[in-house]
This record gives sequence, C-alpha cells and structure tokens, in this order.
Amino acid sequence: MSRNLWLNLSIALALILIAAFAGRLHKWNWHRPSLQTSPSSRGSGQTETDPGSDESDSSKTEILVRFRSNVSRDAIENITSRLNDEVEDRIEAVDGLDVIEDEDNRSADEVVAQYRALSEVEYAEANSEIKLDHEGAGKHVHANDELFYKQWGLFNHGQDGGKSGADISAMQAWAVTKGSDQVVVAVLDSGVDYTHPDLAGNIWTRPEVIKQYEDEDLTEGAIDDVHGFNVVEDNGDPMDDNGHGTHCAGIIGAEGGNEVGIAGVNWIVKIMPLRFMDSDGAGTTKDAIEAINYVINRKRAGVNVRVISASWGSTINSHALEDVIRKAGQEGILFVAAAGNDHSDNDAKPHYPASYGLNNVISVAALDRNDELTSFSNWGATSVDIAAPGQQIVSTWLNHGFEERQGTSMATPFVAGVAALILSTNTAISIDDLRTRLLNSVDAVPSLKGKVATGGRINAAKAVASQ
Amino acid sequence: MSSIDPAIIIKARSDLAQRLGVDESEIGEGQVEQTDFPDASLGAPLEDEMSAQMITPGWRIRLKVRGETYEYRATARQLRLVNFKGRNYRV
Repeated sequence: MSRNLWLNLSIALALILIAAFAGRLHKWNWHRPSLQTSPSSRGSGQTETDPGSDESDSSKTEILVRFRSNVSRDAIENITSRLNDEVEDRIEAVDGLDVIEDEDNRSADEVVAQYRALSEVEYAEANSEIKLDHEGAGKHVHANDELFYKQWGLFNHGQDGGKSGADISAMQAWAVTKGSDQVVVAVLDSGVDYTHPDLAGNIWTRPEVIKQYEDEDLTEGAIDDVHGFNVVEDNGDPMDDNGHGTHCAGIIGAEGGNEVGIAGVNWIVKIMPLRFMDSDGAGTTKDAIEAINYVINRKRAGVNVRVISASWGSTINSHALEDVIRKAGQEGILFVAAAGNDHSDNDAKPHYPASYGLNNVISVAALDRNDELTSFSNWGATSVDIAAPGQQIVSTWLNHGFEERQGTSMATPFVAGVAALILSTNTAISIDDLRTRLLNSVDAVPSLKGKVATGGRINAAKAVASQ
Repeated sequence: MSSIDPAIIIKARSDLAQRLGVDESEIGEGQVEQTDFPDASLGAPLEDEMSAQMITPGWRIRLKVRGETYEYRATARQLRLVNFKGRNYRV
C-alpha cells in the first residue's frame, strides 16, 4: 500500500511539473519577439518577423521596468509582490531591467504609473513592441544598446510622455539595412571625438591608396588627413572640443548592437570628421567653404563620400558658400542642413545654407516626441523640406559620454543618416534620385501642414524599401 | 544649470567700461537672467560667422550706463556683446 501511494504521488507530481513547465514555455515563446535579451555581436541585431497573436496571452498587461542599481533582487520581488505583479523575465543584458506582468487586471498605463511613482525605479514603460507587431509592422530589428530606450527618435513607444510611432521607423529599416562601411558621411562641424567608444569603429580612415590632402593655399604642404581635416588649425586632427560635432556624428552612426551607449541611424557607416567650428561652436564662412572644398577633393580622389551633414548656419547669404555647395552637388554629394532655431519662417527670412535653393540641399526642421514642431524650429512651406526628431535627443558627447541636446542641429543628422542607409543599398543612386527618395519617404504629420514642403517626418523604413 | 560665475559679470563690466571710456563705478549693478539661446553664437553672430544650431543655455546680462542699457550674453565658455553700435562682439 505504501509503495502504491508513493507511486501515485510521484506520477501526480511529475504531471504537475510538466504542466507548469509547459505553461512557462508558452509564456517564454510569447515574450521572445518583444525584447532582445541575449547579447549580440556588432551589426548582428535580432531580426524578427511578426509573431502574430494566435498564441499570445494578451489578457495580461506587461511592462518593462528598470530598477535602480542599488535595489536588490529581494527588494524587487517585494515590490512586485506588493503591487500584485510578477517578475516575468529578467533582461540580463541590462542591469535591473525586468519584464513585469500585472496580475490584477490593470491597464499598462496604470501599472507604468505605479512603478514610475517608486523611488526604486529608474524608468517604467509599456511593452508596446507587442503592439507594434500586431500593427503589422513586419520585420524589424531591435538594438541592444544601453541607452536605446531613450532614443525616441528611432523607436517611440510612448516613453516619457511621447506619442507612440512618432519616430523614423528605424527598426523596420534595419531589417533591410544597418548601413555599410563603404558609405562615407562628412560631419562638417566642430570636429568629432573619433576615440569615443561608440564611434571609433565607424570613423573614416584614409586608405593608403588615397594620397594625403594637398591644397594650394596650405602653407605647410600636404596634410596627413588620417581621419579628416581641421580647418581651424590647418591640420589633420579634427578632434572635437565642443561636443556638438560628436553629438551629430552619433546620431548618424554610433555603433549599433554593441550593448554600448546608443545606436546610430546607421549601425555601420564611415564618419568623416571635419572641424571648422571652434570650442564655442562657431566658425567662419570661409572655413566652412574650405571644409567643403576638402570633401570635394577627397571625393575626386576616390573616397565614397556622398553626404555632408551641416548642423549649422546663420542668416548670412554667402554666394561663395552657395557656389561650393552647388559644386559638391555636381560631384554627387548631398548637403543636408539645419533649418535654424529662431522659430521663424525661412520663406520670409532665409537661413543659410539650408535656404539655398540647390538641388543637392535638404533643409530640416525639428520635431518633438509628440510629432509637434518644436518651439524653436524654423519652418518654411517652400524653403524647408522635411522634419526629423530634434528635441531631447541623446547621443555621443565629449569625454566618452552621452548627453541630451536639442535643436535643428539634432534633426539634420537623422536625415543625413537615412541618406546613408539608402546609399548602403544603392551606391549608384544619383543625387537627384537620392533627394527625391528622401523627400518621398515621409510620414505625413498634421503639425507640419503648411510649415514644411513635404508636410512630413522622415521615415527610414520607407526610404530603404523598394530599392 | 549652475548660477553664473561672478567673473563673467566682472569681465562684461570691464569690457563695457573700456568700450565706453567710462569708469566701472558708473556702470549700474545690472540684471542677470538665465535663458536658452537658439544657437552656439547665443543668437548674436558676428559678421561672417556660422554657428551650431543647438539650443544653448546661458545668461543674458543687462548693464546700465548713463540711462543706456547694454546687453551681454554668456555661457560658461564665452561672452558676447549684442548690438553695440550695430554690431555683435565676442569678448
């Protein structure tokens, strides 16, 4: 009798364990598409297809919560238990990041609010990636970079009070291309910290087959332009001592999928740093012209530099600057420029170089995380072409750091970055076609109607589709 | 943003006294206001100057001399005099 009792108990226990484990597996299968939890090597993001909703337990709310570094696992368990929730999964790649499942039928907004109110919580956000899948977004690639959750311009799921979907659809674009090391983007700025750990791998280095830079007005002969050109000091060291150029470079091409910092619009690209603005972030028209002249020279020498990102300007109308930008266009170089931050109408009061009516110039306005034109951005129904995220933009900074900044300066490299994505899959595209493709690849945004020629925000997924 | 370094105000007063050819004691105490400028030139570009189009936090300093008000704009790194006899200056 005793033997039969133990046998029956063992069978019952085994059945319970199998049932519990099967249920767990079911949940794990459901969660996998929503988050990349395993580390991946550079440029090898996780591509996912729409998982569908057939097997999803959609009745329970899930949110993502990152607890502060000093909060222990026991404390986390106590908090979730107190709020009638459960730690559904731990995201090992990011310390303190957990998937929390609600057990008392609250909405995602309610649960997020509960956690945001706690001092132990760094941030809490709805797991809206599931929603994105259900909207039929199709293939997309997640970035595992540490600050990706702050990059609303690439993936806006409503974090920090933003509007879900008010982004450039980067994850869908990355399913097509993450960029190419054969595409060079010149960042014409205050230089770039080319040693920044999230940029160093994507900095252009002059190939040995390309001769050093020589220009007639250089007094000291050829310049060893290893990574670019410093016009301010007439040398080959374009190190940034302001931060602005480093920030813009990160938006275009911080290394993606490396678990460090942020992801650029391009995970892989070559940034050519140019320094014509000083430590105060200002420079002369003449130095800007010399820097563009350098880019043209390098293009003629065989460097595949097809885009100049120009996050600067003024109301000065220089015909010489216009001429050299036109020349860049004739050499196959797109010039993407900031519309300006005076909250004024560029149709009435032009801002240069953005307002040059050249067929290789794109003028960019700035949007906030709710798809509203920012309070500072210039506009222009005919003279400003397109808009991009430009407020509370996190990117690379000096001292190997990361900082948030705002301005049409920040919107410009989003568009330059998307141009580079297009070029990564279509190297032979003409400047006219590249510009047209960019301007046709927008999401219509009501706040831009009558303010921006295309009436829309750049959409990277549309730009790289149907190449 | 941290409060303004008094050395910046001293520098502005000294510059203004020199430009106007007056004794610094003639310059009033002045007003300082924290603000965001539209660009790296603090909205006061020099002739032939291009600047980064990034919102730049700083201070507006107003100094009064003999009934006239003069405006300086500053960050921790730079100081500019605005529209002095029709021109902007980096100090």
